[in-house]
Amino acid sequence: MGDDLGKLLGDCVHCGFCLPTCPTYVLWGEEMDSPRGRIHLMQQHHDGTPLTPEMAGHFDACLGCLACVTSCPSGVQYDKLIESTREEVERVHPRTRAEQALRETVFALFPYPARLRALRGPLRLYQGSGLSRLLRPVLERLSPSLAAMERLTPPLGRAYRLPERVPARGGRRATVGMLTGCVQREFFPQVNSATARVLALEGCDVLIPKGQGCCGALSLHSGRAEEAKAFARATIVAFESADAVVVNSAGCGSAMKDYAALLADEPEWAGRAEALSAKTKDFSEFLAALGPRAERHPLELTAAYHDACHLAHGQGVRAQPRSLLAGIPGLELREIADPDVCCGSAGTYNLFQPEAAGELGDRKAANVAATGASLLVAANPGCTLQIATALRRRGHEPAVAHPAQVLDASLRGLGPGVLGVSGEGGPGPSR
Amino acid sequence: MFDSRPVTDEDAVLGVRPRYVVEPSTVAEAAAVMRVAHEEGLTVVPRGNGTRVHWGAAPRACDVVIDTRKLDRVVEHAAGDLVVTVEAGLPVRSLQDVLRTTGQQLALDSPFPSTVGGLVATAAAGPRRLLYGTARDLLIGITVVRADGTIVKSGGKVVKNVAGYDLGKLYTGSFGTLGLIVKASFRLHPLPEQQMYVATDGRDPARRVRALLHSHLVPSAIEVDGDGTVAALFEGTAARSRAEEAVALLGAGATAAGAPPAWWGRYPDGDVLLEVQGKPTDLTGLLTVRDAWLRGSAGSGVWFLGTSAEAAPRVVAKLREHLPTVVRHAPLELHETLDLWGPTPALSLMRRVKDQFDPDHRLSPGRFIGGI
Amino acid sequence: MLRRLAERFRDRLGPESVIDDPVRLRTYECDGLTYHRASPGLVVLPGSAEEVAFVVRECVEAGVPYVARGSGTGLSGGALPRTDGVLVVTSRMRRILEVDPDNQRAVVEPGVINLDVSKAVRPHGYYYAPDPSSQQICSIGGNVAENSGGAHCLKYGFTANHVLACEIVTPEGEITTLGDGPGYDLLGAFIGAEGTLGITTKITVRLTRIPQAVETLLAAFPSVETAGAAVSAIIGAGIVPAAVEMMDALAIEAAEAAVACGYPADAAAVLIVELDGPETEVASQFARVRLLCEEAGAFEQRVARDDADRALIWKGRRSAFAAVGRISPAYIVQDGVIPRTALPEVLADIDRLSRESGVRVANVFHAGDGNLHPLVLFDDAEEGAGERAELVSGAILDLCIAHGGSITGEHGVGVDKARYLPRMFTEADLDTMQMVRCAFDPPNLCNPGKVFPTPRLCGEIPRVRKGSPDGELF
Repeated sequence: MGDDLGKLLGDCVHCGFCLPTCPTYVLWGEEMDSPRGRIHLMQQHHDGTPLTPEMAGHFDACLGCLACVTSCPSGVQYDKLIESTREEVERVHPRTRAEQALRETVFALFPYPARLRALRGPLRLYQGSGLSRLLRPVLERLSPSLAAMERLTPPLGRAYRLPERVPARGGRRATVGMLTGCVQREFFPQVNSATARVLALEGCDVLIPKGQGCCGALSLHSGRAEEAKAFARATIVAFESADAVVVNSAGCGSAMKDYAALLADEPEWAGRAEALSAKTKDFSEFLAALGPRAERHPLELTAAYHDACHLAHGQGVRAQPRSLLAGIPGLELREIADPDVCCGSAGTYNLFQPEAAGELGDRKAANVAATGASLLVAANPGCTLQIATALRRRGHEPAVAHPAQVLDASLRGLGPGVLGVSGEGGPGPSR
Repeated sequence: MFDSRPVTDEDAVLGVRPRYVVEPSTVAEAAAVMRVAHEEGLTVVPRGNGTRVHWGAAPRACDVVIDTRKLDRVVEHAAGDLVVTVEAGLPVRSLQDVLRTTGQQLALDSPFPSTVGGLVATAAAGPRRLLYGTARDLLIGITVVRADGTIVKSGGKVVKNVAGYDLGKLYTGSFGTLGLIVKASFRLHPLPEQQMYVATDGRDPARRVRALLHSHLVPSAIEVDGDGTVAALFEGTAARSRAEEAVALLGAGATAAGAPPAWWGRYPDGDVLLEVQGKPTDLTGLLTVRDAWLRGSAGSGVWFLGTSAEAAPRVVAKLREHLPTVVRHAPLELHETLDLWGPTPALSLMRRVKDQFDPDHRLSPGRFIGGI
Repeated sequence: MLRRLAERFRDRLGPESVIDDPVRLRTYECDGLTYHRASPGLVVLPGSAEEVAFVVRECVEAGVPYVARGSGTGLSGGALPRTDGVLVVTSRMRRILEVDPDNQRAVVEPGVINLDVSKAVRPHGYYYAPDPSSQQICSIGGNVAENSGGAHCLKYGFTANHVLACEIVTPEGEITTLGDGPGYDLLGAFIGAEGTLGITTKITVRLTRIPQAVETLLAAFPSVETAGAAVSAIIGAGIVPAAVEMMDALAIEAAEAAVACGYPADAAAVLIVELDGPETEVASQFARVRLLCEEAGAFEQRVARDDADRALIWKGRRSAFAAVGRISPAYIVQDGVIPRTALPEVLADIDRLSRESGVRVANVFHAGDGNLHPLVLFDDAEEGAGERAELVSGAILDLCIAHGGSITGEHGVGVDKARYLPRMFTEADLDTMQMVRCAFDPPNLCNPGKVFPTPRLCGEIPRVRKGSPDGELF
């Protein structure tokens, strides 16, 4: 990026407005673990300072939540800066064997639904098995996350495989493609089912191409650009025929909206990437624009809505999910304090930086608990897992749902019980 | 040596009779007096109208009293900027008369006919400190003649200014121990269209103070008298309706009036006057102090107690168990036993400030805290 | 020497509280003013007053200068580090220790962010009044050092009017309290001394009742002169608004580009006038304000419908400094004060300066109290442009001084304006101020080189007597 990078760096006027929204600054209060500090480090490197292990550590510690992009009055494109910096880190920074093994395992696992699926059963048994010394710590690191997913996932038997086409109910208003995602598909199939039902009930023909794979978000946000591009091309092909692509996972939507930039230098793909980015819509973004038609049945519950970073900061989608939820009779929406600060999930962050992620999860859980809401609503599987795990550490057994599930329950006239809300109110202590 | 007027007993500062009383009528003259005193090693006590000259301790020595009353000019009144610059000897009441012609005021109360300089030097303030603050908050610039006779200034004549140290606050309440205040600039406020007072009977004062303080009515002052009477002042274009709201808020026994209660803004009677810097919630406890009459700015937590010479040592000791208590004035024979100023943190820093400003300790020596 | 100090600090504060890696240190080389840079010799992040005192004592013993820093948002380089010294960063001291709504006060640590105080006390119906534009990130400790103001200080005053007491570590490493007892108002001198008299470790702030009613008006004017006339008319009518802010066309353009605040595009100047207080007061005065604006020539007036709308109006103003980055590669944020009545004249002079020099100047200011923030734009890639901008910037300060104003209303003197201070004050004035510094910090190690262009040697004045005869009582 050469001079472009220099120009992007030059946009920062060092005002510090990004600091309070940066999760790592909130945790540690250190300049080099703030966006302003990281930009300063990037500048140092740009000016010729070699990329030291210390520098790399501060870049790795960035969650990529993009809260700083939202809070920056000077329009610094930190998203671009950190992405290219991560590439640079991957290029020149030697990682330890243990680090490398963990990264390779994660990137060989999460973007592949089939592999994730294969791991679900054996996972519980891994502790007793004679795994190699190298892989064992890796799986130990992964296991809490996977175990958390397991806990939130309904028994395998109930998982519903979606057909390739779900027809609109009561007169078609639109035809949309739907991304099923990786983690979402394997661990939250009920979210995908709800998404498809709500779209259909609101008058959409929903196309769910079988050939779709990972959108590349994890790779893109971790400095693995080439890997990300390959995923992107495949995704473009899979959805080329749809009018719009509805995405119910914030990280995926954010990545797909970035395809245009990602593939800008590839002439044969640039135009197609731009077209896909333009028609990618978050679930709530799409529905809010479409306008409500189906009848909303009352749902008597209090819900706290969590802003997923890649939705709020990555896509600027804040009002739409709130208005969708607020449009449900009987539902009382509560705001979580410090909504701009990331929960610590951040894609692969809770795998690579577990301590920081855990602290951020605890902070978020405390703020969620303080709302007294009986249901936590989040539009990203990573956030849901992260906050639910942290709430459980506090002795709470939280009810969590995706906005699609809440809407689904309302449109179909199911009570709050279907969302796991007992009706007692408050994410109460676990039994 | 000086162009002194004849010295009388009236000129004595707490019993210490000066050798000279000089009345400079310009800043330059005042500086000249200070310079001579510096050269001759003479002790100096500044004085305005003398309304609070009996506050604080007696000076250890007093060769010269500088009477500032001839420094009484309004230097500049920039009405459009709501700023005034005056000489220190101007009586506050005369200043208010000048300001009134343009619908403005200096929002500082004093029950005495004090000079501007005297008010600043003693940091005295009245009921409306709740809304407007005290002299330190309204002072935006100050000119002082230093112990060596040098004329120096700090601040300026604009309301917003952070250039250099804010020495105005340091001189405020310094009792003439750091220099001779000769000029001061203040930010002004518009005179309110309406002023209304609300007073209650003596029931439940703490609850009533709390209700007023936490209401949306923005009283300019909340005062309390020793019998539990609470009174509040409302100022503004809609003060009447706010006063009515306050009456409703305070319940039975509250009434609104255009004039203050007789005790408003006056110090409580007694041979000894105590000032306590505390909090609003100190009220309940202070009302139980025996042999003393409480009066004070309940909303700010600044309290005055009037007491007798006999009771004073006990009352002071009792108060100091919990709160910083200053004996404002007391009969001279009590000065030794009472410890007028009481303990304070950072006294060693204060001594060092004094040493810097007045290395020979010639300015109002011994009048201030810790014998400064 | 610094290496030895680093070891001492690591032992006492823990390794995570000491930074001595050169790459990391450099991220602390400047605060909000990037023009001056100096990489600190060492950074420490203490967690308590005791740790701060330890650090200060060690520095004094070693003869090493030290500088305190909060969030690093200062605009005068007041927290510029010393390459030969220690930077004491308070960003980890950020606990709100006590909220006492009954007595309208709260006790906080210095690293607490200004806006977080308001957030914490809002459930009780209170807020913390001083509101610098950087309130979302600036720290209370930094506010104390700089005596920070903000848009609403027109009515409510500055930090100095809202801080009741401070626990400080003196430049000799002792923990003491200012403002909590009788005697000299050392607190008044300390606040705004730009960190040269010690390091704040605990602050008792006064809380202000959230007003019953707030009305915010955005008024668009065909010229800065007519907007200025409206300000004079409002103040002249005996109204004390909570805030009166003005932005000129260039500043509007920048703010619009940054945050899409929806200001009228064809306005040569906009005023934000905010009134707050009891409903009855606000209602009657707001009607007058609107009328006065109209009479002065406002061609469009927008009244904030609700808090969200109000926030949007303010967003444009609050982000204006940084937003100028969108329309200019580089710029100087100036801060000067004039008597409000001189506004039209001075604005015309600034305009003339700008035209004559070809240097663009955007104006953002607290019109109610005459505090100007001209933003002098330049292209740092262009040879000599920075120097030309500096000249214009300095000339604007001269204008302020000539009109009896000040070289800084809220950003402080720091390192940036020390050289201008003698234009406002005589040598004797500055010498007197430095007597206070000598009383606090005889070895001149506490943030040396700031505020005053020439340090005063503290041994100059012969000490005739130490203390006083009856001082031993205590």
